[in-house]
Amino acid sequence: MNGNAAELDAVTIAYGGKPLLREVSLGIAPGTVYALLGRNGAGKSSLVRVLLGLQRPEAGKALLFGRDPWRERASLMDRVGVVPEAPDAPSTASADLLSAFCGRVHGRWDAGGVATRLDRLGVPRRRPFGKLSKGEKGSVHFALALGASPDLLVLDDPTLGLDPVARHELFGDLIGELADRGTTVFLTTHDLAGVEGIADRVGILAGGKLAVEGDLEELKSRFRRITYSNEITPSRESYGTELDLFDAARVRVRGWGVEAVVTNFDDARFERFRTQEGVSAAGAEPMSLEEIFLAVAGIREREERKTS
Amino acid sequence: MIRIDPADAVPIWKQIEDGIRHLVAAGGLRPGAPAPSVRDLARDLRVNPATVARAYQRLAEAGVLTVRRGEGTFVTDAPPGLSRGERSRALRDGADRYAVLARTAGASDEEALRAVEAALARIRHRPEREER
Repeated sequence: MNGNAAELDAVTIAYGGKPLLREVSLGIAPGTVYALLGRNGAGKSSLVRVLLGLQRPEAGKALLFGRDPWRERASLMDRVGVVPEAPDAPSTASADLLSAFCGRVHGRWDAGGVATRLDRLGVPRRRPFGKLSKGEKGSVHFALALGASPDLLVLDDPTLGLDPVARHELFGDLIGELADRGTTVFLTTHDLAGVEGIADRVGILAGGKLAVEGDLEELKSRFRRITYSNEITPSRESYGTELDLFDAARVRVRGWGVEAVVTNFDDARFERFRTQEGVSAAGAEPMSLEEIFLAVAGIREREERKTS
Repeated sequence: MIRIDPADAVPIWKQIEDGIRHLVAAGGLRPGAPAPSVRDLARDLRVNPATVARAYQRLAEAGVLTVRRGEGTFVTDAPPGLSRGERSRALRDGADRYAVLARTAGASDEEALRAVEAALARIRHRPEREER
């Protein structure tokens, strides 16, 4: 136990004997926002289910507040608010009715807070759940998830299917919640621009594992897109050993030179790279979270070729 | 107001810190005026409140902002001057950056100096501030 609100320890997930994810380990510190990124089918939702004790991993374990969610799910869920990927509820029940029902189940329930939030998010509280739009259904779950003042809020792709206004509102509301209560948040998302200013820590699932993990600020300081023209390799279709100084996540050979995404940039290393023989016109550009994600999780380019 | 670009390589807390410094220097936030609350600024900018808090803490340590317990955060009445050494270093760093920019843009020395004078004049003519 090291004080994390939640953690995954070498979790392996397999379906029908086929491993989907191998040995994923991550920790979510109290009061921080952790964003888990990955393409569709990468295993984000499976990890969420393991963390919530809804699925047993093939190997490894999950811990929620230091306890095993698989064995102690019932008692632990009191402290967790969940917004599922596909928000569902009885189609005839209104948001008001659902809130009243949750109030009977939960010890501490802020019915007034739920109603206020729903009004702010523009959800008609008396309309049957089945008649709400996808975005409104998500908002209902978001409001209900916060109704019990959870210590941990888990959001599985919360902005999927939301229009830009609803998405803006949801992130604004989430920020208000962070400011007021310091809630710990674990979210999976495709909305890279939205989480760019919010996430403290980021994990990217790719190739059946947690390919990249770290503090967002630290990730952004070590990822760079490097461009240069290569005068050593005679043909314009390849690159040589000059990039060996770096860990390159992706290399593209272009007509004008070489473009590489490197994952261990620092000024001193770049200075050595820049002054190597044959390397000229070298530049290094910072990358947004979206660009980092595309470089890590995107399909590798076919024009990647190396000589030497 | 403050603008930030989350995709920028400059950390967001640093962008906020610079933004507030700029507002104070340009008179947009007057001495003694309340700074926006962490919560409001975080919501406006759509960033993590902890990031705003970090910027505010640095600004408080630098003496640009003052935290009054129970009341909130305010622009310091008399913004502190830097020590002589710090000041000359800050001026030299800024001047170096500007000199490179001016050269790259193809400006003559005279043009570059005129632009600095104009910038100083703009700040001098900012809305009047209380004398101490």
